Amino acid sequence: MKGKKIFILFALLVLSIFSLVGCAKKAVSGGESKTVIMGLDDTFAPMGFRDENGELVGFDIDLAREVFGRNGYEVQFQPIDWSMKETELNSGNIDLIWNGYSITEERKEKVAFTDPYLENRQIIITLADSDISSKSDLAGKKVAVQNGSSTLDAIYKEPEIVESFDGGEPVLFDTNHEAFMDLEAGRVDAVVSDEVLARYYIQQKNPEDYRILDEDFGSEEYGIGLRKEDKELLEMINSTLNEMREDGSFDEIYEKWFGDNDK
Amino acid sequence: MLSYILTLLPSILEGLVMTLKVFFVTLVLSIPLGVIVSIFRLSRFKPLSKITELYIWVMRGSPLMLQIVFIFFGLPIVGIAFDRFTAVIIAFVLNYAAYFGEIFRGGIESIDRGQYEAAKVLGLSPYRTFMRIILPQVIKIVLPSISNEVITLVKDTSLVYIVGLGELLRAGKIASIRDVSLVPLVLVTVAYLLLTAIFTVAFNKIEKRYSYYE
Repeated sequence: MKGKKIFILFALLVLSIFSLVGCAKKAVSGGESKTVIMGLDDTFAPMGFRDENGELVGFDIDLAREVFGRNGYEVQFQPIDWSMKETELNSGNIDLIWNGYSITEERKEKVAFTDPYLENRQIIITLADSDISSKSDLAGKKVAVQNGSSTLDAIYKEPEIVESFDGGEPVLFDTNHEAFMDLEAGRVDAVVSDEVLARYYIQQKNPEDYRILDEDFGSEEYGIGLRKEDKELLEMINSTLNEMREDGSFDEIYEKWFGDNDK
Repeated sequence: MLSYILTLLPSILEGLVMTLKVFFVTLVLSIPLGVIVSIFRLSRFKPLSKITELYIWVMRGSPLMLQIVFIFFGLPIVGIAFDRFTAVIIAFVLNYAAYFGEIFRGGIESIDRGQYEAAKVLGLSPYRTFMRIILPQVIKIVLPSISNEVITLVKDTSLVYIVGLGELLRAGKIASIRDVSLVPLVLVTVAYLLLTAIFTVAFNKIEKRYSYYE
């Protein structure tokens, strides 16, 4: 009886060690030439996320499939934590970052960007019954922003407005989702967010409940991030994206994901 | 509402599988390693004991999340690269073995010195003394503390998101952001509660089994 228990324990131990060894082997044999690994945050709707069946879908996913499909590449999608994206890229775990990745000066130092493929404004959203109608109305109000986002960089380009907020700084949340929930709960008066994300969120909820101000905090551009030495891959993506703009397939994919929106 | 929950189940279950994989592999490897750690820590050979103490301090004294980051992202810099799951398991096992090691040490130290002497008089080898006399009593003593760690481990598995592995909490977050709803997170909470309920009941059973003196 006792011996049997020890045997089972031992067998389990051996089994789990073997499964580890099995995993380690897979990591070594990744030398296929025509495969690229694309890193993405699979919580980022509508750019790249999972549908009810767990399949990866989204604007960037469709775009990437088309670009690499035309060039005979196979794309592997690797979910990553967004805070680790540049580390994942530079340690070679992934070959590119393609997931609503804003082009900024700081990022340009670490990664090579393709030409921008989508423009994204930093918009201000309030509840429909709010009395805020311009940036100057934000004075003395609580304003929520996603921490570590390019939105945060964008609003600090106009520091006098940020200083006029209640508390002299924005209320920071881990995700836009939480910022919006706080807006609905009435604890903050406005949210500044990526247009792409905000429009998706509002579309899912009731669009009549929200108002998007005409003024914004400038716009930024989405690009695809690659390692600086992967120049050929960068050229290939750029020229294929241009090709897709010309033959209308880019617009088709755009329509599919942002068609309901007025922009 | 019910049909919405049904659409969520497949992805939540997929996340649950990863959570359970991390959980069981960690548990099965870290408990035996914990016993070894405790023996090293109690060793009369000072350098071994000191090194083990240092290891325990580092593992318990720094966030597990950073340990995962260093093992997965840091080690490749010096040429040691693991794939995602392996890196996570190494981090979890090293971390949990430190905690288990200290729990076992407490258990071993609480056994009366006289038992070792008695075993010696009876002619038992040190190995047999430990395996047959000391360890069974230690297991009985440490069970409540172990069950505590096990429940912590269930929830700690959510840390694997940092290397992009899709576990239970991440599955919930994805659905929550996609559908703009808190329901997936409620579902995930229920799943965690069910898991911990199962392990609590299991440990109560085991404890009862070992309560042969009462």
